Amino acid sequence: MSSPSALRWRSVPPDAIVWREWDGEFVVRNERSGSTHQLAPLAGSVLQVLLEAGGALSVADIAARLGDHLAAAPEPDQYAAIDAVLSEFKRLGLVEPEAQ
Amino acid sequence: MIVAHLSHQELMHRLARPGLRLRTGPVVNRIQSRLAKVVHGVELHYADCTIEDSEGFADFHVRVAPPRSPRRWIAPQVQFQFDGAGPFLPLPASQAFAMLEWGLNWCVSSHCHQYLIVHAASVERSGFALLLPGHPGSGKSTLCAGLVSRGWRLLSDELTLLDLATGHVVPLPRPVSLKNASIDVIRRFSPGMEVGPPVHDTVKGSVAHMRPPTDSVRRATEAARPRWIVLPRYEAGAAASLTPLSRARAFMHLADHAFNYDVHGRQGFELLAQVIDSSDCFEFHYGALEHAVAVFDDIARRA
Repeated sequence: MSSPSALRWRSVPPDAIVWREWDGEFVVRNERSGSTHQLAPLAGSVLQVLLEAGGALSVADIAARLGDHLAAAPEPDQYAAIDAVLSEFKRLGLVEPEAQ
Repeated sequence: MIVAHLSHQELMHRLARPGLRLRTGPVVNRIQSRLAKVVHGVELHYADCTIEDSEGFADFHVRVAPPRSPRRWIAPQVQFQFDGAGPFLPLPASQAFAMLEWGLNWCVSSHCHQYLIVHAASVERSGFALLLPGHPGSGKSTLCAGLVSRGWRLLSDELTLLDLATGHVVPLPRPVSLKNASIDVIRRFSPGMEVGPPVHDTVKGSVAHMRPPTDSVRRATEAARPRWIVLPRYEAGAAASLTPLSRARAFMHLADHAFNYDVHGRQGFELLAQVIDSSDCFEFHYGALEHAVAVFDDIARRA
């Protein structure tokens, strides 16, 4: 079991992203990089949560809100999965950590 | 006037000078060449295409001619010229018509950014377009030729043009490029279709072109709404099998196969999303054209 990181994350501004969802799978275009990515259901839901939040969220915040997006309730192991998604999003320029 | 209205001599003279202004779909090409292989190729494959006014506008000014080199006396070559420049290395003279075809493809894929251009074959039935994006060797041209020979309308063999405003496929009915074993496959499957003489030892192996059906050329102004996205894969001996493909994967596949997706930015994304919204998406494995055509005739009936 992993404990959630205290780091808080925000998505890039909504106008810098355009995305579509089909049957739980997502495709997102990052207007800043010009790149398009296919996202698995968890990654797509994490991005949705961050876009809807309009502010920075911790991994625990995201896990709590994912209940609205995923059928299964958040579990501790999801923290690691969400962490991995956020790391990948950071690499793709889709999210940024809040300044400490 | 169409190419078939010219005598062989008239066509030869027009291609030699001042150039033949040939309409292919939305594009006018001014083609110049004195090479017999080009004259014969144009005469066979573009017989139904409209010849535009010799004073009118042409999108592309191209020429297929021997390069100025002493080599022409030893191993004759040909060069494709675009606006007087040679964007490609010369090829053996036997490949003159194939080089014209590849050059015209390059003209469209590099310049026609008023469209989103996908590397895909596309055919139409009842107003609906079936898009077949695929890598070389996937069997898309063979499948395209097979469908076209059994009543589907040819929209394009190689370059599917998507209208940025409507998302519809704008026809570009030009010869279908057949490679290697596909040449004889189509000759056997569609004896009524005209397939030109093969040229061997090209970078793609042996290549021959199938003339686009007259009806497809005549209806080149009739766009079609995308309805099916199908990723074909030929496997010798495989049974025809159509498997649903997720729309997200199909989107990525179209984007990966688009020549100018990046040029169009957000508009390109929205356009592909619109195409995906209106389409059923599949992967398709096949080993026999007869069965493949039956599968697509069936999905067209149910549309």
